[in-house]
Amino acid sequence: MTVAPFLVIAATGGMLSLLVRDRRSWSTAVAAAGLLAMIAAAAAMDPAATARIGGVDLAGSAWLRLYALLGSLVGLILVTIDVAAMHEPDVPGTIVLGLGAAVIAIAITDPGVAVAAATAGGLAAVLVAAPVGAAARAAVVGVRELRALAVAGALAIGATAWLARPLGDLTLAPALFGFAYLAFAVAVAIRLGAIPFHLWAARAADAAPGVALPLLLAWGPAAFAAVALAWIDRSVAPLALPLAGEQGVIAAIGAISVVLGLVAAAVQDDLEHVVGYTIIADAGFVVLALAAFDPGVWEPSRTWLLVFVVCRSAFAAWAVAINGAYGTRRLSELGGWARRSPALTAALALVAGAAVGWPALASWQARASLVHLALPDVAAVAVMAAPVAGLAIYGRILRVGLRPPSPAVRDGVGERPGWPAPWPGRPMVGTSATERVMERSSHAIGGLLDVLWQLPAAGRRNRTGIASIAVLVLAGLAAAVSAGGLGVPEAARAAPRGGEVGPGGAPTPSGPTPSAPAPGESDQLLPSDAQPTPTFTFEPVGGSPSDSPPTAPSGSPRG
Amino acid sequence: MNPALVLLAAITIGGAVLAVSARDVRATALGLLVVFLGAPLLVDPWPGPATILARMAAALLAIRIVEIGLRGEDTTGGTRLGWPAEALLAAAAAVIGFGSHGLGAAGLGPAEAQAAGFALIVLAIAPLATGRDVLRVAIGSVLLVMGATLIRAGLDAPPSDAEHLVLGLLTIALGGAVGVIATAARAAGGLATIGVADIGERGPRLPDAHRPDERETKPGAGARPRPGRPAPPAPRRSDPPAPRRSDPPAPRRSDRPGPRRAGPPPP
Repeated sequence: MTVAPFLVIAATGGMLSLLVRDRRSWSTAVAAAGLLAMIAAAAAMDPAATARIGGVDLAGSAWLRLYALLGSLVGLILVTIDVAAMHEPDVPGTIVLGLGAAVIAIAITDPGVAVAAATAGGLAAVLVAAPVGAAARAAVVGVRELRALAVAGALAIGATAWLARPLGDLTLAPALFGFAYLAFAVAVAIRLGAIPFHLWAARAADAAPGVALPLLLAWGPAAFAAVALAWIDRSVAPLALPLAGEQGVIAAIGAISVVLGLVAAAVQDDLEHVVGYTIIADAGFVVLALAAFDPGVWEPSRTWLLVFVVCRSAFAAWAVAINGAYGTRRLSELGGWARRSPALTAALALVAGAAVGWPALASWQARASLVHLALPDVAAVAVMAAPVAGLAIYGRILRVGLRPPSPAVRDGVGERPGWPAPWPGRPMVGTSATERVMERSSHAIGGLLDVLWQLPAAGRRNRTGIASIAVLVLAGLAAAVSAGGLGVPEAARAAPRGGEVGPGGAPTPSGPTPSAPAPGESDQLLPSDAQPTPTFTFEPVGGSPSDSPPTAPSGSPRG
Repeated sequence: MNPALVLLAAITIGGAVLAVSARDVRATALGLLVVFLGAPLLVDPWPGPATILARMAAALLAIRIVEIGLRGEDTTGGTRLGWPAEALLAAAAAVIGFGSHGLGAAGLGPAEAQAAGFALIVLAIAPLATGRDVLRVAIGSVLLVMGATLIRAGLDAPPSDAEHLVLGLLTIALGGAVGVIATAARAAGGLATIGVADIGERGPRLPDAHRPDERETKPGAGARPRPGRPAPPAPRRSDPPAPRRSDPPAPRRSDRPGPRRAGPPPP
């Protein structure tokens, strides 16, 4: 099965959910049903299948399949937590639509069309960033987000358009490629909210519902970054141009985001701000991936993108569950939360372990590879140490949780399970065996009806427990992805068929293969008539399943 | 040079000038509609009728959503430069775009599209950088994206049907975003919310969107300045007269009190 059914389900489910937004429960139910169907469609997706729609290829890949599967699963868990904890309007439908837009952006082989789709998907998030009546400044937050999305989208569309055609003598001017590369990389940094482009993201983290933060700041921008990585890998990196200055700027943005994002997260009192700044810090590693032209960046960048989105979704879900349980997201008012929420304590520990990791984990390896490929050794050591120092953020939250309970926590709803009504006693009055059998049957049916009748009230009474269990499941998923489970490294390593090109792999460009110049000869390029063009040209669609997918030899030269 | 494309480019640029300079929100919406309708036609060769119809439908839907968001509003900040200056800037940018078609290499699309794209991007800069109300900034954002798509149309081969479909969805998303933001701004007191929020701010600032208290959820409460902060700028002499208190207030759907974001359900 191709990616098309997934996209149809996402578009239908998301739009239906938003069309019935006046009835919040119906809207949530439609979105949840859509996410369930999306999980099934993603599981049935064939990584080798390519669909051609209206002249554009939608290429499947193992990484795309895993992204869609994890996204749908995480989306469903987030909707469950939202229903149990806060039940914010419009969030479920926006999650469905945003995921669909992210998947279509990754699937489209033409980067110019892909960035347009990613920008359109990002705009859907404005719906939750500027909710009507949330506060006076919500509109300002929304318009700032719109401005950031527009600037990023325009930069990316311009950059891809500039290089997606035969450039003739322009290939003799490396500055042109550097300008286009810088524009697209800055566009990604803006979308990810990397420092110094973080103001809109910080305000959005303040205004948007916590459960929508993963979509706004992680899932959508990650798709945008995936498009950029494929574009750089195909259009800029193979030419081996001297772009050290541009790469240095991008690497500096990434390194600063990692360090300062964690510092900012460590001093915040609002849990959603802590979540927002940790997202910005992790996004710094994605930006670092854009700064490395080495073919070895292909696998770790894709591994890290999946770890990044799932881990940060789990942390955001944890913050939403805490807010729903105790009615505040201020850390100073949450003293003793861990004493009343053991499941959330375990979830936080899992999230911390998955996000920080240790050298045996796939996430650690991916992060180390990105840092060492993009930065000089001294800076690489400092940036690698920063996430370890991030343990202090989780330790601070846990320390607050072990204090004596604060008034907000005492008045909140803990995880202790309960039943809304006392269990009715049904004494047996029958004397004969037949009477007792009939009476027991009657009591069983009556008891079952009692239980069924009380189920909605029981769900409301145990909403904190339900949300905590969902967060624990999501944290376990994050730990599995961080450890390299679910086939993450294999999916990240495999080069897809169709348009998204892996390191040194097919599809074959139509022009001559670019040859990397020897050191010192990088500015002496071939004559214009022998120059490779960075035009995107792909293999014919519909190759037979027996065609072996292109391999991704680690460390092989590009081209 | 294709005269039909030149005419279409001129109309598109004219719509953009109208969108950024008009003070009447209906004229602003009309200008946006012209941009949305004209941009898809600035390709050579034209797409098929079904594709054109899809882009037209997307444009109309986007403007309809914008109109819903602006319902009840009459004026926006307009331009501080004046429409003649905006038109001259756009014309100059269009000439530059036309003359530099291909940006150093052979452009595969029409030069008129690149000219219109340059003009739209130049027109977008002022609202994006100095817009004092949310509609102005939103209009600038829309024009920036549309300008980029026009430059792509000028540089690359004619877009495929699927690309037109994606661009149609992008158009709807842009219109939807503007509509949502305008609706939120109206509920918060008016399109000039951004000016009230930013003018004269010094020292530590409160979160942009903290949980609303009872005072803030009252209709029109959001635009009031905080104590110790300057009032919003007085209307210029050329501004339209404010409605008198004796005038009957126009009914608005946004006047429904109460937050849309619910707190945690009761235990």
